[in-house]
Amino acid sequence: MTDWILRTSGLTKRFYLHDQQREIPSTFAVDLALRPGELLAITGPSGAGKSSLLKCIWRTYLPSGGRILLREASGAVTDLVTAGEQHVLALRRGEMGFVTQFLHCLPRKSALDVVAAPLVDTGTPVEAARDAAATLLARLNVPSHLWAVAPATFSGGEQQRVNLARGLIRPVRLLLLDEPTASLDPVSRACAVGLLRELKARGTAMLAILHDPALVEALADGEVRVEPHPQTHPEEAAA
Amino acid sequence: MMLRTAPILDVAGLTRLHGPGCPRCVEATGPAAGTNICPHCGTVVACADVNLTLMRGEVLGVMGESGSGKSSLVRLLYGDDAPTRGTITFHDGNTPVDLLALNARQARRLRNRSFGIVHQNPHLGLNFRVSAGGNIAERLLMGGEMRYARIRERAMALLARCEVPPARMDELPGRFSGGMQQRVQIARALATDPPLLFLDEVTTGLDVSVQATILDLILELQHQLGVSMIAVTHDLGVIRMLASRTIVMKMGRVVESGLTDQILEDPQHAYTQQLVAAAL
Repeated sequence: MTDWILRTSGLTKRFYLHDQQREIPSTFAVDLALRPGELLAITGPSGAGKSSLLKCIWRTYLPSGGRILLREASGAVTDLVTAGEQHVLALRRGEMGFVTQFLHCLPRKSALDVVAAPLVDTGTPVEAARDAAATLLARLNVPSHLWAVAPATFSGGEQQRVNLARGLIRPVRLLLLDEPTASLDPVSRACAVGLLRELKARGTAMLAILHDPALVEALADGEVRVEPHPQTHPEEAAA
Repeated sequence: MMLRTAPILDVAGLTRLHGPGCPRCVEATGPAAGTNICPHCGTVVACADVNLTLMRGEVLGVMGESGSGKSSLVRLLYGDDAPTRGTITFHDGNTPVDLLALNARQARRLRNRSFGIVHQNPHLGLNFRVSAGGNIAERLLMGGEMRYARIRERAMALLARCEVPPARMDELPGRFSGGMQQRVQIARALATDPPLLFLDEVTTGLDVSVQATILDLILELQHQLGVSMIAVTHDLGVIRMLASRTIVMKMGRVVESGLTDQILEDPQHAYTQQLVAAAL
């Protein structure tokens, strides 16, 4: 059995709202181990802290407790809960990727440049990056007449495909995905599934929030069931 | 290209008091005290105990409301004002330089060569009595370039780089739109290829579409030239777009610092939570 690349133990996130002087529980005591080439599906009810779990690993959220161990390409094991800011930034540039739920990008930029940006940012020449972006957009079934257009005007599904292409263009060792195919039609979804399978075959480890059981069936090697904090009231968990 | 493992600027314990000062100025002011005026001696504490490190090629955001000490900090770092205490170390290549130990002439030379600044108000950053090209020439002359043809060529290239039509290089900046004045300011700031750029509310007051083009330009410059930047703004959208790390200031103190997305999505300090909640 290959060694894990990511392991969390007791990963917990709570938010403290100063103006209301109260704590909002989110992710609670999550344990998981993820190996290269494996995709683990994160499932659980809304409000159980699935997105928070991914954001803790990406360090957009500061975890409140537990450990997030990442085995880096060098073999060094880093706890992302305590890693320094420059260290986290270096890992984001080099080893980790995050496909967020919604596309956030600079206005005015063409879809092609939005997708190419992560490669350009890490030193690939613009033309080569655009070629790679074009290949991915074509594979994700984004019509070529849209490539020169800024994605702000795109439909939800088109934006999601641009977002996915941007998230997949740069090879990483660990990829976090927050509902990567939620608003895709069946054809585009099949394209996306094909791409994710290829990434798995190449050894990328993935942690993905997936709602659709068929998708879990098609892609996942295992499931991490996230449950709300035991003291959370049901109505709060649903919010 | 973008070496982010070496620091370019180290700031420790930076403090600026306006007034007589007393031993209790710092402890009696700040966010917890709810004031930046010392109740014992009336001294205004513009900023106190600011520590930060900027890496090469990195953009650090400084956010906070008006009067939080953001601009005071930039004035101290750029050398427009002298701190009451603290240290500023600029890494000139591999040589650490204690900026506060330089004499006036050395400080001016280093600043002309290594720092650029873009102000919110173009009147602070541009000379409105000379042409756009002349504004760039001024900086080049201060940096020691004396050859007219070289100066003109460089000015033309910089304006083109900042998307100011070279045909307008002999016009006075007063005839330009606000967005174009900002572009000339950026071109001027870049004249000597400085490794460090200070941006003080550069998009404030511009309309949204112009803001986007200016941010675009700044990101491209950061990218292609690897310039390190300190970007002061109260606009969270600008911070999100430009900065990888952000510090939050209130009443002259740094109340929180972290990765920009963390500061905006999981703010820890009550003040940052308020700022972020007010913006959304």
